[in-house]
Amino acid sequence: MRQSVLRLNREFAFSILVEMFLIIMVLVFCIPLYFMLINSFKTFGEITMNAASLPEKLVWKNYAVAVKQVKFFSVFVNSISITAGSLFGMVVLGAMASWKLARVQTWVSRLMFFLYVSAMVIPFQSVMIPLVKVAFTLQLINSRLGLIVIYFGFGLPFTIFLYHGFVKGVPFELEESGRLEGCSDIQLFIHIVIPLLKTITVTVIILQTLWVWNDFLLPSLILHDRDLHTIPLGINRFFGQYRNQWDKALATLVLSMLPIIVFFLFLQKHLIRGVADGALKG
Amino acid sequence: MKKIMFLAVIFGLLAIGMIFAAGQEEGAAKEVELEIFHFKVPWIDAWENLEDEFEAAYPGVTVETEISGGGADWRTLLKAKFAAGAGPDIFIIEGFSDYQLWKEYIEPLSDQPWVSHLLPNAKASATFDGELKSMPLAMEGYGYIYNKDLFAKAGITKTPATLDELAAAAKKLKGIGVYPFASGFGTWWVISNHFTNIPFAQQDDPMGFIEGLNNGTEKIPGNAVFNQWKNVFDLVLANSEPNPLTTDHNSQVAMLANGQAAMIQQGNWKEAVLYDTNPDLNIGLLPIPISNDADAGRVPVGIPFYFVVNSTSEAAEKEAAKNFLSFLVGTPEGQRYVTEEFKAIPAFDNIPASNLGGVGKDIVEYSKQGKTIPWMFSFWPDGAVNEFSDAAQKYAAGIVSFPEYTREIQAMWDRLK
Amino acid sequence: MQTVRVKKPAGSRQEEGEGEGEGENERVGEREGERVGNVVSVLSGSRKRRKGSRGNSILTRQDSSFWMFTVPALLIFLIIVQIPFFIGIFYSLTDWDGINSAPDYIGFANYRELVNDTRALGSLSFTLRFTAAVVVLSNVLGFSLALALTKGLPGTNAMRVIFFLPNIIGGLILGFLWRFVLIQGIQAIGKTTGWAFFQTPWLGDPTTGFWGSVVVFVWKTAGYLMIIYIAALLNIDKSLIEAADIDGAGKFQTLIKIKVPLLFPAFTVCLFLMLSWAMKLFDVIFALTNGAPYGSTEVFALNIYKEAFVYNNYGYGSAKAVVFFFFVAAITIVQVWATKRKEVQL
Repeated sequence: MRQSVLRLNREFAFSILVEMFLIIMVLVFCIPLYFMLINSFKTFGEITMNAASLPEKLVWKNYAVAVKQVKFFSVFVNSISITAGSLFGMVVLGAMASWKLARVQTWVSRLMFFLYVSAMVIPFQSVMIPLVKVAFTLQLINSRLGLIVIYFGFGLPFTIFLYHGFVKGVPFELEESGRLEGCSDIQLFIHIVIPLLKTITVTVIILQTLWVWNDFLLPSLILHDRDLHTIPLGINRFFGQYRNQWDKALATLVLSMLPIIVFFLFLQKHLIRGVADGALKG
Repeated sequence: MKKIMFLAVIFGLLAIGMIFAAGQEEGAAKEVELEIFHFKVPWIDAWENLEDEFEAAYPGVTVETEISGGGADWRTLLKAKFAAGAGPDIFIIEGFSDYQLWKEYIEPLSDQPWVSHLLPNAKASATFDGELKSMPLAMEGYGYIYNKDLFAKAGITKTPATLDELAAAAKKLKGIGVYPFASGFGTWWVISNHFTNIPFAQQDDPMGFIEGLNNGTEKIPGNAVFNQWKNVFDLVLANSEPNPLTTDHNSQVAMLANGQAAMIQQGNWKEAVLYDTNPDLNIGLLPIPISNDADAGRVPVGIPFYFVVNSTSEAAEKEAAKNFLSFLVGTPEGQRYVTEEFKAIPAFDNIPASNLGGVGKDIVEYSKQGKTIPWMFSFWPDGAVNEFSDAAQKYAAGIVSFPEYTREIQAMWDRLK
Repeated sequence: MQTVRVKKPAGSRQEEGEGEGEGENERVGEREGERVGNVVSVLSGSRKRRKGSRGNSILTRQDSSFWMFTVPALLIFLIIVQIPFFIGIFYSLTDWDGINSAPDYIGFANYRELVNDTRALGSLSFTLRFTAAVVVLSNVLGFSLALALTKGLPGTNAMRVIFFLPNIIGGLILGFLWRFVLIQGIQAIGKTTGWAFFQTPWLGDPTTGFWGSVVVFVWKTAGYLMIIYIAALLNIDKSLIEAADIDGAGKFQTLIKIKVPLLFPAFTVCLFLMLSWAMKLFDVIFALTNGAPYGSTEVFALNIYKEAFVYNNYGYGSAKAVVFFFFVAAITIVQVWATKRKEVQL
């Protein structure tokens, strides 16, 4: 009895220690976000005087200027449509291909899968200029649809990597019985396979959204008209080589993060499940 | 999960809808579309108004400008545009090295109406392969921007023009508890392009020196001007803020604006942000002297960039491009933007400078007296601005001695040329 | 957020069709091993035959609709990724500057030049040191957080979200933000408090440049690894832990002897992800230090970028990229193969 009380005490003390470790880590993790938030409400002069202090008074003007100069509504709509379009195609094409690649084991399917996986290691800088040439030949330049198609290409390797691993863990019996009932492959895919792939699909959507939404280099190469710009391209204006407008830049940063934080909070339950599923089965 | 599938479908449809909507909007044809590419981000707002005025004056032309900030180098984006066959009709080059790179895309401009009004120096530097091929818009100068009030407080009566005078001033400034210099050596173009330009530009024959380096008749180690320049380098290091490699150009502005530092090595492009940060600043520009000679005090004045017209554009677009440049420097409406909005020092004799701050006025004054030296870094080999920065930072950090440093940049030159 | 359990306990659909009849302990290990085995076998280019009752579930010849399902993806992938990659290989055999219309073919000269390129070798060494540091630290931190956050302590759910949050900021922006924090923010704290730690010249010399980059990247990635580890920890059969407890094993012993071996598949994946992310890292460094001070923090991807776009040697840059591609591929294959072997032994 006494022993177990002691042990409980010790466990309690240990829990306190762990909790303290966690709280310290939370603080450390929040430091950059704190700086971003408080300084987005200061004037440039105040930032340069002391970047750590709370703002003397909230300067909403930074946000007003940011919204206007970045054309926030326009870049926001572009980001959403490009992200949604890219994700839609990646998921559909990726799920289709991975299903067959995982179920059919021939040298052709293995070679294809190997091509996809090895492409995950290609440094993007090495394909930049040739990519732009190819994109030009195919008339994909300066168009949102063109950019979306390019995202299909670059997103497919990781998408297929995730789906492929997952499909292998899914029992074959359901498909088999569907086939015995005389379903065509398309029917099988729509009615049986897609529902089975739900968890991993959420993972794919979350991970690829984080990438497409935040990507800078690729859209900067493809989209030239300002009307087509995405949020990262809009923000980039404030981070010049010769001038960093920290006050306005931080305000745009906060604005640009809000939508993705909302998206994240909405899906976070599935995210944790999904990341883990994807990783452990991939 | 149902909810998510539903959302996915909605998003998919939304995306497709938007793309088709966009497709229609893009389909509407315009007569001539003039595409411009430059990197002057602070001009964004004014530039849009300029576009409107130009479009009003030339119906049938629409202007589309891309102002490349800095996240990626502007040259990368420009290369991508040309690779994509979508080279802009007007773009910019920073000087001779850029000209070498882009020359097959650059249209001669010697027949343009504004050519006769170009200032002689500007005209010379805009001429490549014997022909005028670019339009300089403005001149910029740099040196030590100094806080006149702090100088007065420290009891400095004569503005320093020689190395010894500068050293004496630094000593007095230290006495009143401010940093004499905020070096900004953490920013590559401060320590490389601008600061390392000094020993190149102070050579008796700067152009000949560059040619000599290229054909091996000149050497940087042991060069007398470089050895003189070491003195001012050391003076700055001994009298700057602690950890100079962590201060970038923003910190320089901050330290000068809030009175922590008395001098920063910057140019008139920083004036606007300095006055924004502290409207009461009383500032001017000092040269960067490397010796005690009477004419040691020269200010490096140069053309930061040149507009060029894409020779591979279609005739109508080239026409529009030339009209745009003429509109900018040849009409009162356009000229107003150069002086009032961009607050630039015009490179034309028919555009009177106005609206200049203390630094700009000093640059004009030095130019009038002929006390200038050129910007030679645009003649350096590709990549040298980056590597010279690495080498100079190593010297600033005390990792290499000055002779080692000069040998290092000599080796860089030989490899990159 | 109430439930983060990835798999239902024994008997759920996940187990159906898996190896059966063996002891509890072996079964769990084998199941996990097989999943990660997919990554491994692909990366190492070999595929071992699946054993057990599912042998007949895999078609070894093409079925009628194979092409219908795979060709759309393959076509786009080949055109968008593979063709440019091969064009890049072609450019690596030329002296192209990235602009002029007629590059000259120069054979393997670019590849030979690489051997004497001290700057490239220096940046490769930085990349390797950086990778080693972030792979270790990020995994240690991610794993510690995962352990701490599976104890059912108050605030667990909110903390998981906070630790994951850095992942949703894009690399370029993240670099700019941290540059601001390290230079303006930390200095401001240093000025106020006078503590020496905060007055360190962050990013101002090679040491702080290195550790600054490491901190930023660990900050970004630890939360992601944490999620994987949380899932794996929750997936461990509780009865095993209880059995160990009854046998009188201490907490630490349980961790080392029971949990860690069972978590090996998760380690394999986390190492693989961190390795490929860290070696290919570009945007964070580009915005954070851009290689400064004096090129001491230039990761290899940045070196390639500068060679191609700043020095205007696109051909040479492409050659570096090709070499780098094989280098990264080789390292990841070795890592996966090595950890996989360890898994089997355990």
